[in-house]
Amino acid sequence: MTNRSSDLRTPLGRVRFLGSARTGTMDAWLIHLTSVALVPLTLGFVWLMLDLLSKDYNGVRAELASPISAILLLAFILAGIIHMELGMRSIIVDYIGGQTRAWALAANTCFAALLALACVYATLRVAFT
Amino acid sequence: MASSDASPGSPRPRPLSPHLSVYRPTMTMAMSIAHRISGAALYVGVLLLAWFLIAVSSDASSFAVFSDFISSFIGRLTLFVITWALFHHLVSGVRHILWDAGYGLDAPLRDQMAWATAIGGFALTILVWATGFAVR
Repeated sequence: MTNRSSDLRTPLGRVRFLGSARTGTMDAWLIHLTSVALVPLTLGFVWLMLDLLSKDYNGVRAELASPISAILLLAFILAGIIHMELGMRSIIVDYIGGQTRAWALAANTCFAALLALACVYATLRVAFT
Repeated sequence: MASSDASPGSPRPRPLSPHLSVYRPTMTMAMSIAHRISGAALYVGVLLLAWFLIAVSSDASSFAVFSDFISSFIGRLTLFVITWALFHHLVSGVRHILWDAGYGLDAPLRDQMAWATAIGGFALTILVWATGFAVR
């Protein structure tokens, strides 16, 4: 932003009514999209978990290896972890400032990415071995 | 500018975000906080799902370790809290989607929806655990 001394407007006055800082819309869209997707996915996930309660190790493996279970689980994991990452990002932005904020945001993204990779890897391993 | 409340060179303090302490607590406020707390709880709770999936994908003895934990008192208590957080956040999220669509913002309905969130989250948790004990 230019800040010439000839400009008598305040910094707030200059940015008012210019809309968002350009990249926020995608985050807002994604958290809403995943939230709607997670309604049926969560119900399906809970149904699947209840179905596993009466099964032993081999039964659980067989159930999770079926295409419907595996795809449901993958969709739940991906939508859930994207939603979770965006949600924690808004919590961090609300409560943490300065240099700590950058580290917290980086840690949040790395944690979510590792968790997603671990869950997807494990699900695929059960499905394909 | 003719205002006298700002000394030259220093900007007049801008109004800050609403502070919780200056408002009478309302149900919608409580449910807003509960939405965030349940979301944060699920952030940690996903670790349990990751452990479960990795244990299943490894071998029977890894699965037995997970199975023993989740059958213990601490494991069940943890899972119960996560189940509540999941259903509370789900019902509360639906309420937020309805509000975002412009529905249910009027005075009696918004409080009724907030109460429905609180009750619905617990009711679904109890329902799922009762089903769990029945089918186990």
